[in-house]
Amino acid sequence: MWWRLSARSILFWERLIAEMLLLSPINLLNDLLLKFFSQETITFFVWPLIQILLVVTLVALWVAYATYLERKISAFMQARLGPMRVGPWGLLQPIADGLKLLTKEDFIPESADRWIFFFAPYIAVASAFIVFSVIPFGPDWAVIADVNIGLLLVLAVSSVGVLALILAGWSSNSKYALLGGLRSSAQMVSYEVAMGLSLIGALMFARTLSLSGIVAAQGSDSIWYIVYQPAGFLIFLISGIAENNRAPFDLPEAESELVAGFHTEYSGMRWSLFFMAEYAAMVVVAAIATTVYLGGWYFPFVYRLEAGGYHNLFVLVSVLVFLVKASIILYVYFWLRWTLPRFRYDQLMDIGWKWLIPSTLINIVLSGFAIFLVQALDGWRGIKTIQALDRGLNLTATGKVIMIIIGLAGVFVTAALLARINWRSRDFNLRTQRRNIRLVNLPKGKPAVQPGS
Amino acid sequence: MALVKSPKPTFVQKLKRFFLIDLIKGLGLTLKYNLGALTDKDAVAGHGIYTEQYPKVRPDVAPRFHGAPRLNMDPETHDTLCIACNLCAIACPEDCIDVIPMDVEIMVAGKPRRKKVLDEFIFDTSRCMFCALCQEACPTYCLELTQDFELATYSRAGFVWNREMLEQGRETVKYTS
Repeated sequence: MWWRLSARSILFWERLIAEMLLLSPINLLNDLLLKFFSQETITFFVWPLIQILLVVTLVALWVAYATYLERKISAFMQARLGPMRVGPWGLLQPIADGLKLLTKEDFIPESADRWIFFFAPYIAVASAFIVFSVIPFGPDWAVIADVNIGLLLVLAVSSVGVLALILAGWSSNSKYALLGGLRSSAQMVSYEVAMGLSLIGALMFARTLSLSGIVAAQGSDSIWYIVYQPAGFLIFLISGIAENNRAPFDLPEAESELVAGFHTEYSGMRWSLFFMAEYAAMVVVAAIATTVYLGGWYFPFVYRLEAGGYHNLFVLVSVLVFLVKASIILYVYFWLRWTLPRFRYDQLMDIGWKWLIPSTLINIVLSGFAIFLVQALDGWRGIKTIQALDRGLNLTATGKVIMIIIGLAGVFVTAALLARINWRSRDFNLRTQRRNIRLVNLPKGKPAVQPGS
Repeated sequence: MALVKSPKPTFVQKLKRFFLIDLIKGLGLTLKYNLGALTDKDAVAGHGIYTEQYPKVRPDVAPRFHGAPRLNMDPETHDTLCIACNLCAIACPEDCIDVIPMDVEIMVAGKPRRKKVLDEFIFDTSRCMFCALCQEACPTYCLELTQDFELATYSRAGFVWNREMLEQGRETVKYTS
């Protein structure tokens, strides 16, 4: 039978896959390139260019199909089918959309600031795409640049995206676009704080800012930081959604109030650049969340491929693992968008300043306390909690249990504490005012307002 | 001044709010629909997809649906079953049917007789309200309202069907998946 392969033929196929498909093309390419360039040029120029090309293609494809998936998933959640006409199951829909947008008229309002109006979409797209240069999609050759301030660079560059929205909104010379730009700037600035602070808890464990270093720290500790830092993960996810102006925080482009927000006056390709930037920023947040909290490209048992000598297969499978993890977070994005209604503007600011930022601060204090506790317990009455400190904080089983308990308890402690602190703040939230003037359960025959009162 | 005190939330309600139970319920509902759409494509269990792929898959109309009119013919001889009795035109509340007969000479038992036969049949579907009273009135089961529902045309004149259209039916593009 066909599945009863002899041991020799299995060995043969293994070698064929290992050598022909996964090992040699890269070596072959390197040999080929050596005929034209020196080894230095290849290592520092040609290979990075190839990597950049691959990553840009991959991300652009991912972004295009994120729009397709968003439409499909939203349709499924509403008992519809979604795009079905272009290609099988509508799979070519993103390409059709792109062609349509390319051929559309690129309209510029007469009184708009032409140059800023021209450049704003490019700033948005560039700030979203630059981030991918430091994201570790996998080990070894699957990361373009392993910068030792990777996370800082990500936060810095992605906050430039706000500039694009402000410029676009302002240069359009339209009241809706300006209002959208104002809203988006206020929202993104206030949520950037929570986003940056929420990552610090995880950094305390990783002890490095390099994204590959964070992944390696999680690998050597053999744990995902979502387990240590559930509060940090939740805050990062919420502030990431708000940072990307996604529903339920999509106030800058609230279509029922502001037409389309900051890109009201944009059309054709420029509009699609904004659209692409939005989805790319989403993918960025998903990728960062995966790297910092979900263990990046690490997955149990995948390292056996490396041990078995299939280095390139190991890298490919790791990249796949990374993409799957990030896609799951993207699914959460879509899921939340099609479940929750939009927040009111004061609620949005409330959540940002009164809940998320204090809870990040509490999270930092709690994480610091937990690490202090673990370090203090190490060696006390023969308890061993810390395994190693050279590649991030590596804990023993006891230390892990302590850390997980503190992390989980931290979520509820934070929530309870903030609920206690913020309970009076509802007065500013119009809740009490509305409660006072609500005209329900009035006794019959009595006017709502007593005359002469 | 507080006109009416709304009830303060109970402890259970507070717990629900603290653990975001309603949010989780909402997420569960959308997830249920999403999984339902992926697993059950024919909307059998109530959480599948309700969209009809219309031009490719034609909908099943209700059995009592009345659509495009048709003049039935004898299946063997392909002569019309209409005897030009004008009952349908009389029955029509909208007065949208015109039966135009003509006289022909026929020989009955060796004697020449005159007989009315159908010459032209005008049916104005733009005025028809598809009550099917004409169908009820027809003594020979000739005029019938079928279940065909694609009646749109590009002009008002296109709504007026003559005898040939009524007998042959209109040409519509048939899509297949």
